[in-house]
Amino acid sequence: MQIDLQKKHLELKCFFDPKGVAVIGASHSPEKLGYQVVRNLVKGGSFSLPYLKGFSGKIFPVHPKANEILGLKCYPSVKKIPERVDLAIICIPAKFVPEAVRECAEKKVKGINIISAGFGEAGEKGKKLQEEFLKIAKKAGIRIVGPNCLGTLYTHAYLNASFGPFLPFSGPITFISQSGALVDSVIDWSVKEKYGFSAVISYGNKSDLDAPDFIAWAAKDERTKAIALYIEGLNDGRYFLEVARKVTPIKPIIALKAGKTAAGTKAAGSHTGSLAGSYEIYKGAFEQSGVIIADTLTQLFDMAKSLALQPPAKGNKIAIVTNGGGNGVMTADYCEELGIQLPPLPKDLIEKLDKSGKMHPAWSRANPLDTIGDAGPERYRVALETVIGSETYDGVIVIQTLQTMTRPVEDAKIVVEMQRKYKKPVVGAFMGGPFTEPGVKYLEEHGIPNYNDVDRAAKAMWALIEYGSYLKKRNKV
Amino acid sequence: MKKEQILIQIENFKKSGEKFLTEPVCEEILSSYKIPIPPAYLAQDSEEAAKFAAKVDFPVVLKVVSKQIIHKSDAGGVIVGIKNKEEVKRAFDKILKNVKCYNSKAKIDGIYVQKMASPGREVIIGAVKDKQFGQVVMFGLGGILVEVLKDVAFRIAPINKDEAMEMIDKIKGLPILKGVRGEKPIDFDILSETIASISKLVVDFPQIAQLDINPIRVYPKGLYAVDARIILE
Repeated sequence: MQIDLQKKHLELKCFFDPKGVAVIGASHSPEKLGYQVVRNLVKGGSFSLPYLKGFSGKIFPVHPKANEILGLKCYPSVKKIPERVDLAIICIPAKFVPEAVRECAEKKVKGINIISAGFGEAGEKGKKLQEEFLKIAKKAGIRIVGPNCLGTLYTHAYLNASFGPFLPFSGPITFISQSGALVDSVIDWSVKEKYGFSAVISYGNKSDLDAPDFIAWAAKDERTKAIALYIEGLNDGRYFLEVARKVTPIKPIIALKAGKTAAGTKAAGSHTGSLAGSYEIYKGAFEQSGVIIADTLTQLFDMAKSLALQPPAKGNKIAIVTNGGGNGVMTADYCEELGIQLPPLPKDLIEKLDKSGKMHPAWSRANPLDTIGDAGPERYRVALETVIGSETYDGVIVIQTLQTMTRPVEDAKIVVEMQRKYKKPVVGAFMGGPFTEPGVKYLEEHGIPNYNDVDRAAKAMWALIEYGSYLKKRNKV
Repeated sequence: MKKEQILIQIENFKKSGEKFLTEPVCEEILSSYKIPIPPAYLAQDSEEAAKFAAKVDFPVVLKVVSKQIIHKSDAGGVIVGIKNKEEVKRAFDKILKNVKCYNSKAKIDGIYVQKMASPGREVIIGAVKDKQFGQVVMFGLGGILVEVLKDVAFRIAPINKDEAMEMIDKIKGLPILKGVRGEKPIDFDILSETIASISKLVVDFPQIAQLDINPIRVYPKGLYAVDARIILE
């Protein structure tokens, strides 16, 4: 299977950076989907956030009778729109959808987000309707997202072509989700957790476009640095494998696969058949194509964040720098479980730190490097620089607990400075609440992913090691 | 066996409405993919069985070959640890009697006389045709432990030797294969080669729905596929 990522990217461009968007089923009444979708396009969302803006391109509501909706001129049919329309969003009852798609074909629309439900997921009648519109779309070369989905969001173009609540912050992650409801929660959650997205895609029934298509698009999207995936199933496993193999050497993919306990395709008769649950096979496909596996939604975004912001680790030898003993020990436990090595501090580094005059007499002289609770920014600097500059270590987890002498922002500045100077992966575990927050903010604004618990920081570092080791292997071949 | 011959065999089984290939056929197919099988012959009577046993060398195992008998052990169709010609003859007759008792209508192709593979570390290599991914290959710790520990890894077939090695690295029981308490490591080279060959075999023959080689005995040098099963679609 030859896959041309650039070709795929251009083919799907209409869903993210369209010239002209039509909303088929636009409505006046705020309780209707067709109103919310127009409003999402015009204002960026249904909730007010300071950064929100509407789509700067042309928006064309389609309504059989209305003259205007939300100040925009209405058209009785998509065919009557006098200008170019790349993307149509369909939110009308299922039975009218094939006809709407036919009109889009006449208008030479390139892509359609079908938000309406009641198709493949809703019995025989729905299945027939899905087949019907697909046939029309295929013939006209129109690509379809959905049906039964939220649609597509692209932060850089301020395009909310969905009925998701609002455009999230812009950032380096593209989130591709089979579930629409999950996208809703993640968007709201991301504001609090400060995850930024390039694109968010909910593709529902995957009647035409499926996860691998969006992965291929994201691979060539300049703003995407990591691809986070939530899937329940795939139309074509082999196609996924081929796309993933092509993309992972360029960009990391992190996947959360639901349906672990489902019997899946289990076949009886052989040991292999009885062990071949669908999750086990997916796991094999992920491992084989360098896709990083997440077990929870938190992990999915924790790892996507570290992979988007930090360079992959060249090896699995990590140093822990902390101003709190307990946090250091806990981190060491999590690292051990994940197979991350914590080489002891070499003698010369111990001597160097002893001689620095900055260390507390009781400092640990070990890895985790405990700088003791009264550590100020200068002690962080010398400790951090000593380990990050040493060939013994491939990366550092920096922990900060809020003690009376602690200066979160000062410490954060040093972490950022050291990471930039030595270019090795660093993840932060500045743990705490409102008084730690300014330090966390500084870290994250300057490209250091931070986690409020050490297990999360350890897992985020693990992802950097895992991806680094995969790249090394691939480049050798 | 060449590819065309394997295809003919498979088609024959399909025509007769059978899904389970018999052991000699399974082993012939595996042999043609360079997977080591303990030497064996198909005997038609007890005299011939004794002769074959001496040829492959003792101890031997006798196994019934019949398209109608899928669970050979349940039918009393397997006798292991046979040490001399006299025992071979007795075992031959006993298997015939057991099998007749178990299923009087079963058509018996003969009794398979096979050299017993010496004890070794046991692994499983399998394959199954998945709805979404097509042929996939599995590796794990084998023998009776497989269903309990479920210490297995899957890959989408075909895979090369390096990918097979990565698969081996994924299982939790890896230290057992590397050797504990002074035990020598197993032959990882031939094991990874074998996994890759199986993955190629199932891609070459999409008619195969499931394949099990369990156990495979792996030694510090070499390996033997002790028991194989191929199920057609």
